[in-house]
This record gives sequence, structure tokens and C-alpha cells, in this order.
Amino acid sequence: MTKSTAIEIKDLTKKYDDKIVVNGISLEIEKGECFGLLGPNGAGKTTAMKMMYCSALVTSGELYVLGLNVKKNYKEIKSRIGVVPQEDGLDPDFTVLENLLVYANYHNLEPKEAELRAQALLRLMKLEEYQDRSVDTLSGGMRRRLAIARGLINSPEVVFLDEPTTGLDPQARIWIWDFFKHLKSEKNTLVLTTHYMEEAEQMCDRVAIIDNGKILTVGTPRDLIRELIGKEVVEFDTNPVDLNYYLGRLREAGFAYQVIKDTVSVLIKDNQDGRKAVDLIASDKIYIRKPTLNDVFLKLAGHQLRNEQ
Amino acid sequence: MKFKDYFTTPQVNSGAFKVWSRNFLYFKKTWLVSVFWIVFEPVVYLGAIGFGLGSFVNSMGGMSYVEFFFPALLCTTAMMVSFFEGTYGNYTKLTHQKTYSTIMLTRVGPEEIVAGELMWAASKGFFGVMGVTLVAGVFGLIDTYRIILVLPVLFLISALFSCIGMIFTSLARNYDSFIYSTSGLIVPMSLLSGTYFPLEQLPPSLRYISYLFPLTHGVSAVRNILHNQDVGLALGHIAILLVATFICMNISFFRIRKKLLK
Repeated sequence: MTKSTAIEIKDLTKKYDDKIVVNGISLEIEKGECFGLLGPNGAGKTTAMKMMYCSALVTSGELYVLGLNVKKNYKEIKSRIGVVPQEDGLDPDFTVLENLLVYANYHNLEPKEAELRAQALLRLMKLEEYQDRSVDTLSGGMRRRLAIARGLINSPEVVFLDEPTTGLDPQARIWIWDFFKHLKSEKNTLVLTTHYMEEAEQMCDRVAIIDNGKILTVGTPRDLIRELIGKEVVEFDTNPVDLNYYLGRLREAGFAYQVIKDTVSVLIKDNQDGRKAVDLIASDKIYIRKPTLNDVFLKLAGHQLRNEQ
Repeated sequence: MKFKDYFTTPQVNSGAFKVWSRNFLYFKKTWLVSVFWIVFEPVVYLGAIGFGLGSFVNSMGGMSYVEFFFPALLCTTAMMVSFFEGTYGNYTKLTHQKTYSTIMLTRVGPEEIVAGELMWAASKGFFGVMGVTLVAGVFGLIDTYRIILVLPVLFLISALFSCIGMIFTSLARNYDSFIYSTSGLIVPMSLLSGTYFPLEQLPPSLRYISYLFPLTHGVSAVRNILHNQDVGLALGHIAILLVATFICMNISFFRIRKKLLK
């Protein structure tokens, strides 16, 4: 492990009773990096992250955060990281400002320092005019912003965000992702889980795609797209009768594809010509688009519906 | 897991105190409603049972009825307030509000959370006792010197029932679960522990059962000290309360820690 490593994970496993939720993952996250854990519901990404922020016990394997062992030095780790959990966990007994101050107190901040820090964060998160409101009166977006402010109260070196934009309206999502860009520009290390692929593609320096407790792949979104999908995607709709005919023709011409119901995505590699694929298909619903992380995700994790967990 | 792992020394440190002060901050915001139920209610009991019903009773256990009943009222107040804080209050923070999970994101750990919460529920029971004591003082029921002697005992009772409440919190599936502990344990205990009438009135079999109730020992200890009767007996009861508190505290630590840290 070098000085620039923020998190080091070796063969990390988590079992709840007999159920394996995280199955031997290994990973290194660099300082100053925005790292995304992507995966369907129940893939194990939240559990993996919970072990990193020391809210779940490690069943086996090694896990170091900021060079400290989570099994021994969890108190010090917790005081140097910030966490924004999926359920905000805001305290409905208190106002917006009190939520920050009470939490700052758990972090051992001096009252004066806590007050200054809380006011600064409320300004930053555009919540200053709501500081005396009960948290019950806040909208979903405001609650999430408050939870983020709370996670930043101790000036953390690494910030963990579990599904930070899930359930928010588009405006609130855009605001929050913009804010993360700001955090990133200040050299913070961000580790987040999401299932919004477009956002992960834009925001994350690197992503790990997780399913069934295992890491399927790790890399920059760009590299993953180029390696696993290609330079572009030719997509068309067909019907069950013609499907096999088209697939046969594409196979013969050396094209890779993935099929989701009646929609075929032909993956055009760097050395291939997309127009040739178009020529093979006689469909009027055909279009060519840029490949996205979504394609990578579907290719690796499949497209079956997952049961919510 | 080794046998000794089942026993925990509570970490009464700054972390636990922070958990305590979180609750105190909320208490300060809502003190009026708290005063209503932790002080007003017992005082109504004192008026209705002690002075009202009691005026029909010439003497009980060799003293006036209100003198007989008042020590028991202090004990039931300590029990009720700390037990309800330990159950409904803590269950809300454990589940619906996720207060404990949020605290665990900071350097304050499960041992400190449990220690802080037990201290808090005990303190709240003790606030109730203090409130009732002050009001009773106005009615001239208080002997200043003796009341100071029983206050630590009343705090011990509060602590014991905050631990018992915490154990029920760890067992509860939902709020309705507390009906079992309230109607099945707390209410019978408040009636049959030598509170409203001497234990000798109970049929022998029931009397022995009532000796299993922690409140019986609390009431007997407080009554004996307050009326300067058998102090040796009072010390025996206090010893039983101490042992019960130690055991219940360890069970509540063990169970809540297991719930918080998976």
C-alpha cells in the first residue's frame, strides 16, 4: 500500500448468518479519487461500503481505511471519514441546525468550532434559511443536503455516500452531483454507490461493477466502455420471428451483440464499421448511439429483473 | 464466544455522556409534556389514593395511609418513568428514527450508546422522583434528612428499570410488543409489590411470587428507611436491587450491542 491509497481491500467477505453478501472482493481506492460501486439491488455494494465505514463487522479478509485497520482502529477511522447513509437518519426531535450540532458533538468538535462549521455548511448546502425548521418539514432534496452537510461536519478525508441521489427529483439530483464535483475539485476522496449509470459515468474516476457479492470489473468508465462494448452501438427493434435470422447474419459478419427482449444492441468495436451492421438489418427502428456504462452494466450483470431487498 | 464476553463494564465516558446530553437537549425542548406525565400523574395518585381513598383507612402497617403509600409512589414513579423511557423511547431511537445507527457513524460506539441511554432513562426516572418529592414537600410529607437517604435507592430503582426496559426493547418486534411487558409485568408489579397494601394481605403463594418482583424490594427498602424501621432489612433489599441491576445491565448491553453491530 502506498501513501496515496485511501482504502485497501483484500479478499473481503461478509456473511449474515449463512448468507454470503460480499464474496471475497479485493480493491484499492486512491486518495482524491471519486470511486463508484455500481450494481443492482442486493448486489452487496451497500454492505461492502458499510464495512468500509465501520458500521458492519468484517467476516473475513483485510480492510484498511487511510492506512488503519477497520478491525482495530475503527474509532480513529470514524473520526476521519464522513458518511451519508442511504436512509438519512436525521433526528426528527431536532431542528436543522441542532441536527448538525448534536452530530458534531459526537465527533468531539468544540461547541464554537461546531457552530462555525455548521453555519458554513448550511450556507454551502443552501439551507441557512431553514436552520430553525424541524427536519420533518424538509423536502426530500433538502433532507439529503442536510445529511450531506452532517457527513462533512468533521472535515473528513474520505466521504462515503450510499445512493446519494436515489428518490430525488431531477433538479435536486443535478444540484447534488454538481456539489460532488465541487468536493472532488477540493481533493476529497469520494466513495459512492449508485445505480444511475449516466451519473456514475460523468462523476466517477473509476467504478467497480458488483453483482452477487463479487466484483465483475473495475476501471475508468471510458476504458470499460471501450473494452467491453466498443466505439458505438447500433440498436434496433425486431420481433421474435426475425430475431434469430438477424442474429445469425450479425454473427457471420463478426459482430457482437446483446439482446434484451426484442431489442438488439450490436456492439461495434474500434476496428469495425457500424454501417456494415446497419446494412445487415432491415428494420425501420434502427439507430446508432454512443455506448454508455449502462451497456457495460447490462452486459456484465444481465438484464433480469431483480427482487428488491 | 467466551463466558466473560457476556459481561461488559459499561463505558461511562464522554461518549456515553454525549448520548445522555442528546436526550437532555430534547428533554429541555419538551420539558412541559414530560413534567405533565412524570410529575403531574404521580401527584394525582397521591391526592386520589393517598389522601382521598386513604382517609377511609385508619392505619396501615402502623402508620397513616398516606405515609404508607408515599414511599411506594416514589418507587412506582421511578419504575414507570424509566421503564417507559427504556422501552418506547429507546425502541423509537433504535428502529424508526435510526438514531443509534446514525450515532454509530461517529466515534461513539454501541457500548457508549447503551451506557448513555441507560443513564438517561435512569435520570428521567430520577427527575420524576425529584418532582414528586418537591410536591410532596409542599404537603408536608417530607422529612428532609430521611429523603436524602432514599434518593440513591430511588436512583438505583430507576437504573434497574431502565435496564429492564432496554431488554424488552431488544426483544420487541413492534410497539405492540410492549403491551406484554407493561400489562403482564409492570402494572401487576405496581399493584402487588406492597405498594397499596402490605404484602401480608396477599395469599401466601402470591406473596412469594411478589418477592420475585424487583419493585417489592425497592418499596420495602424505601419504606423502611423513610420511616426509620428495619434498616438492616432495607440494606438486604438494596443488595438484591444491586445484583438485579448488574445482571439486567449486562443482558441489555449484550443484546443491544448485538443488534447494533452486525
